[in-house]
Amino acid sequence: MDFNLDELKDLMEKEGYISEEELAVTVFLALALKKPLLVEGAPGVGKTEIAKVLGRVFNTEVIRLQCYEGLDENKALYEWNYQKQLLKIQILKDHCSQSEIEKDLFAEEYLLERPLLQAIRSDHRVVLLIDEVDKVDEPFEAFLFELLSDFQISVPELGTLAAKHIPIVILTSNGDRELSDGLRRRCVYLYIDYPSIEKEVKILQMKVPEAGENLNRQIAAVVNYIRTNYDLRKHPSIAESIDWARALVALNASSIDSSNFSKTVNLLLKNRDDTLQITDLAAIEKILDNADTE
Amino acid sequence: MLVLGDSMNQEEIADVVDCVGVIGLDTIEYNISRFVQILRHLGVRVSLSETVDGMNALGLVDLLDKKQVKGVLKSCLVKNRKDAGLFDHAFNLFFVTPEVKASRRKKMMEEEAERNRQLDSAEQELKEVVEGNNLFEQMSLSDRHLETYSALPDKAKERIKDILEQMTANPINNPGELINRVLQSSLNYWRHYMMQNNVGQVELGPEIEASFTGDPELDEVIQEVAAQFYHNPGDQILHKDLAALNDSDIPKMISLINHLSAQLSRSISRRYTYSHRALTVDIRKTVRRNVKYGGIPIELCYRSKRRQRPRFLLICDVSGSMAPYARFVLQFIYGLNNSLGGIESFIFSENIERITDFFYQNRVFSRSMTEIINQSNQWGKSTDFYTSLKTFKDLYSKKLTPDTILFIVSDGRTVDSEAAAKLLRELKLKSSNIVWLNPLPEKDWSGKPQIRQFSSIVRMYQCNTIWHLEKIFNHHVLNKIK
Repeated sequence: MDFNLDELKDLMEKEGYISEEELAVTVFLALALKKPLLVEGAPGVGKTEIAKVLGRVFNTEVIRLQCYEGLDENKALYEWNYQKQLLKIQILKDHCSQSEIEKDLFAEEYLLERPLLQAIRSDHRVVLLIDEVDKVDEPFEAFLFELLSDFQISVPELGTLAAKHIPIVILTSNGDRELSDGLRRRCVYLYIDYPSIEKEVKILQMKVPEAGENLNRQIAAVVNYIRTNYDLRKHPSIAESIDWARALVALNASSIDSSNFSKTVNLLLKNRDDTLQITDLAAIEKILDNADTE
Repeated sequence: MLVLGDSMNQEEIADVVDCVGVIGLDTIEYNISRFVQILRHLGVRVSLSETVDGMNALGLVDLLDKKQVKGVLKSCLVKNRKDAGLFDHAFNLFFVTPEVKASRRKKMMEEEAERNRQLDSAEQELKEVVEGNNLFEQMSLSDRHLETYSALPDKAKERIKDILEQMTANPINNPGELINRVLQSSLNYWRHYMMQNNVGQVELGPEIEASFTGDPELDEVIQEVAAQFYHNPGDQILHKDLAALNDSDIPKMISLINHLSAQLSRSISRRYTYSHRALTVDIRKTVRRNVKYGGIPIELCYRSKRRQRPRFLLICDVSGSMAPYARFVLQFIYGLNNSLGGIESFIFSENIERITDFFYQNRVFSRSMTEIINQSNQWGKSTDFYTSLKTFKDLYSKKLTPDTILFIVSDGRTVDSEAAAKLLRELKLKSSNIVWLNPLPEKDWSGKPQIRQFSSIVRMYQCNTIWHLEKIFNHHVLNKIK
């Protein structure tokens, strides 16, 4: 790696990611130690964005493995191209012996690379994003161990395939399921919490500059007040603050008042029980008054 | 230069030891490994490879920048959010200047001296009451008992002394063992009561679950972290006795319980796919999947037994002493039931009542709870576990199946415990497992024969905080299902 901690922080900021010292140190370590980075936090706080930003910082592609229940090695690692193999058998069956056909059938040209294998065999260093790793089943999590500790993968027909360039691995988790200690041990760990008002203003200024600093500051204060004072099923995330700012700009609002708040609250709160807590006029005015004093 | 060998004399060996000692103590590695030891004693799991990662990583940042050093060690040594708070406290206390360390040592020594003075004075007071019979030597009072005694209100102290005087004056009773038992039970009760209600002349610290190393320098940090950790309002509520919650704590606790039950429901309700490692080929699926290859069975599908969701059945004690806990346990079960459905729930005190119908999905919990309390004949009465279990066996035993996990929530205080234990053994045979959640502190169980009786039959866990509830479900219930 050709740059130090401060340079990485600046580069990430240039690519649109505002990071605090702790976050920057952790990302820097993962890169310098060539270890996977496990990022946990509520949805919408910028976990996946880290991988995308690193892709832009290193000017490389981001290979994404979206995890879900039932994901298995075939979909994550590799599969043999059965159709192509069948065709080959049909073409060669009258001309070659069985052993010759078999020898050819498991060559690399019949291998369909899935995200993990793609990342391992890439000719340059790529970013491998294993998104929502808490959604996979435990056996698959255990299968990831070999990849994450040795950066190699065993394909029975071909042997062990070691990484040409160790990828930058980012794993994200929403905490739906407790990840195993084995997986955690192999990673550098980062927890991203909701941002402070100041940090959120900076993010909004970067993403929605057309809203202006006053409106962005008001948005950050209101969102922060809602996060800390309401017991919601889902707190508004940074992504939702940005959407809200864009919506207010679209409505030509220069500040938040109870009228445009109630019209746009659905962009901030995504659950009926949550919106019911905040829809009446008294609640909205209380939020706006208290947010102003923050 | 010194060379190790047979020819070295005592003086040379001493020089080597001194030299190694000084070098060892001054190195970063030595200090990091001591810090890791502190974390481990506070319950943070840190492996050797993580320690090595941390040490390697320190070489990549500016060692004079405390923020960077903290960030490096945190990301390498701590791998979940809960441990991050402990790490922060421990780091701030361990990496300090020698002056701060010395002043902390001085303060702790003063506190220790004050504590010892209180213990001595408590011991002296009790000795004076039972003096003349050499009874005090027969009594096995721990420091914890003496500490509790010294914290008692004056009236309670006088009452205990009166009882002891009356008992020592009675020669028929063979007072030694009896007095010991009465005094210990009374002090255990008072400790529990004072901690729940924050009363007493001296503040009783919460029970620290960390273990000590025996090295005073490390133990100072461990003790202080443990105390600070419990004083942090965010963490405190997790460790607060459910029966001692203030009105202001309740919304936060309900929110925590909802979060916990939702998280557990998600992990229980996960689907499981067919395994490629199973033995029997599923012909129907294999044929269907291989139609695209002209029926040639290239991709085989295997049968595997789909894991069943566990069935939960709850029997919750709602007698006078248990009612404050029951409310939160029922809230938790209601949360699970909303996601999983089909949790059979019962409450009992003098007899048992089925309350499953109150927990139909999507009903508002507070309304269900009000209806249960209004319509129940059991809320707040005395406990008869035997009669309750007997009714359960007669009317509802069909609800227990071999895959049912039966949860019993009770402090075990009941009449006719022997007959109840017998029935409990029968129910154990009919269920997959029985898990008993007991709000009384585990340290006090040994003095209660009823609890000893029940805990020999079923797995009993102390459960009076949300932290206990989470730990029991994550480590003892879900793991066993998997």
